[in-house]
Amino acid sequence: MGLRDILTGRHEVKGPAPDRLFAISTAYVTLQAEHQIEPAGTAAIVFQALATSEFEATLRDMEEVVTATGGESATSVSTEDDSYGYRWMVLHNPAGAPSVEDLAVGINAVSGSIETAGHGERLLCAVFAFADAHQQRIYFIYNYKRGYWYPFVPDPSKPQERLTERELQIKAQMASELPIEPELERWFPLWGIPI
Amino acid sequence: MATRHSSFGKDTGLQARMVLTLFLLGLVYAVFIGVLIAVGAATGVIIVVAGVLLLVQLFGSDKIAMATMGVKEVAPADEPELHGIIERLCVQADLPKPRVCVMETSMPNAFAMGRSKKTTTVCATRGILELLSPAELEGVMAHELTHVINRDVMVMTIASFFATLASMIIQFAFFFGGGYGNREEEEDIMIVVLVSVAVYAISFMLLRALSRYREFAADRGSAVLTGRPSALASALLKISGTMERVPSQDLRAAEGMSAFFIVPARTKKSLMNLFADHPPLEQRLAALERLESQLQGAV
Repeated sequence: MGLRDILTGRHEVKGPAPDRLFAISTAYVTLQAEHQIEPAGTAAIVFQALATSEFEATLRDMEEVVTATGGESATSVSTEDDSYGYRWMVLHNPAGAPSVEDLAVGINAVSGSIETAGHGERLLCAVFAFADAHQQRIYFIYNYKRGYWYPFVPDPSKPQERLTERELQIKAQMASELPIEPELERWFPLWGIPI
Repeated sequence: MATRHSSFGKDTGLQARMVLTLFLLGLVYAVFIGVLIAVGAATGVIIVVAGVLLLVQLFGSDKIAMATMGVKEVAPADEPELHGIIERLCVQADLPKPRVCVMETSMPNAFAMGRSKKTTTVCATRGILELLSPAELEGVMAHELTHVINRDVMVMTIASFFATLASMIIQFAFFFGGGYGNREEEEDIMIVVLVSVAVYAISFMLLRALSRYREFAADRGSAVLTGRPSALASALLKISGTMERVPSQDLRAAEGMSAFFIVPARTKKSLMNLFADHPPLEQRLAALERLESQLQGAV
């Protein structure tokens, strides 16, 4: 933001950063093989759903596209609005056949059609669900504004608490595989992830 | 890749007015400095004193205000909804997360403080948390975060630097005026005081205008950030409806903080829009309505 923008109070919302979403479709191999962190077969994308007929039409078209491209891999799509008013599109692999590649392709189709419609600045995050050997849920969150990934491990026993130690371990394990968000204060938690 | 740049048009009118106001302020200040130098007043001393004041304002005012207003920081576990709203807005606005505070008062209001993105505090009152729905609260918080993004506290503090200086000169002259014996010097002092009064009066109005424009810019920023202009409009309606009913004791205590609030805390109606630091509600609602029309593709 330049001096002129500050003086005139002008501010436009940032669009998506250069895409590094597909880093997950190679990184998961390391997760699985070396760290016993298994994909849970679900991923989701969260965005601000504009209450306009044009945006709703974009979403309907997109759902068709994702269902069609997911046809071969049988990826299914569902939609959910959370209590903050954000829209989640949740992608499920068929039972017993988790495929991070298929999910990444599906998520990319969703974000792609929102961007093509000119609403790229409404995209917040993509979330991929994993579970470790102790059945602890581990999320990998991709921040569209920054183009970085970070792990998010909510504490199953306490609401609104996260296991920061585990997250930092995962960061150390995956730093060479995934573009990890360097600023820890940008590791925003997402409570109530529907996957 | 994007076929359209943005859902909202550019608000060039607002930006032009803001630039004009800043230009006029600069002009007034330039004349002021010119007169000070021409008269050869102890300009150096005055500017140093005012500079120190400015630094205190920039670096200390938020802490002083927070200490006097009974604002306390809340943990995510205490206010999960407020934290959740702010976290998502921070992702959307690409901001680091600010400190989140709550002020225990029934008056519904919110404000942001701090001079940069790294040292920001956003605060909501208990009243606003209870009054608004999540979407409305999000609109209000986005308005406050836009103040942060636009660096409004810093812009306003720096813009009012010379107005502060002028008011100091008037006060000095009031306390130490007269008794110099030297006729020429007394005339010089009179000129400085008169010019200071003029500078103060004009810059006061310009600063109020600037403050109103920054409010419009923050409303617009909120709409752009959340994509829901009408949620903020609804929040403003709810807040202003309640503002008139809350006890005036509460309001008077808070009046000094008015420039930071989303809706000014007022015990009496302003005489003229010219002196108000917030634009009238109708104009803010009309601006938000235009944004909603742009969003819906009607314009």
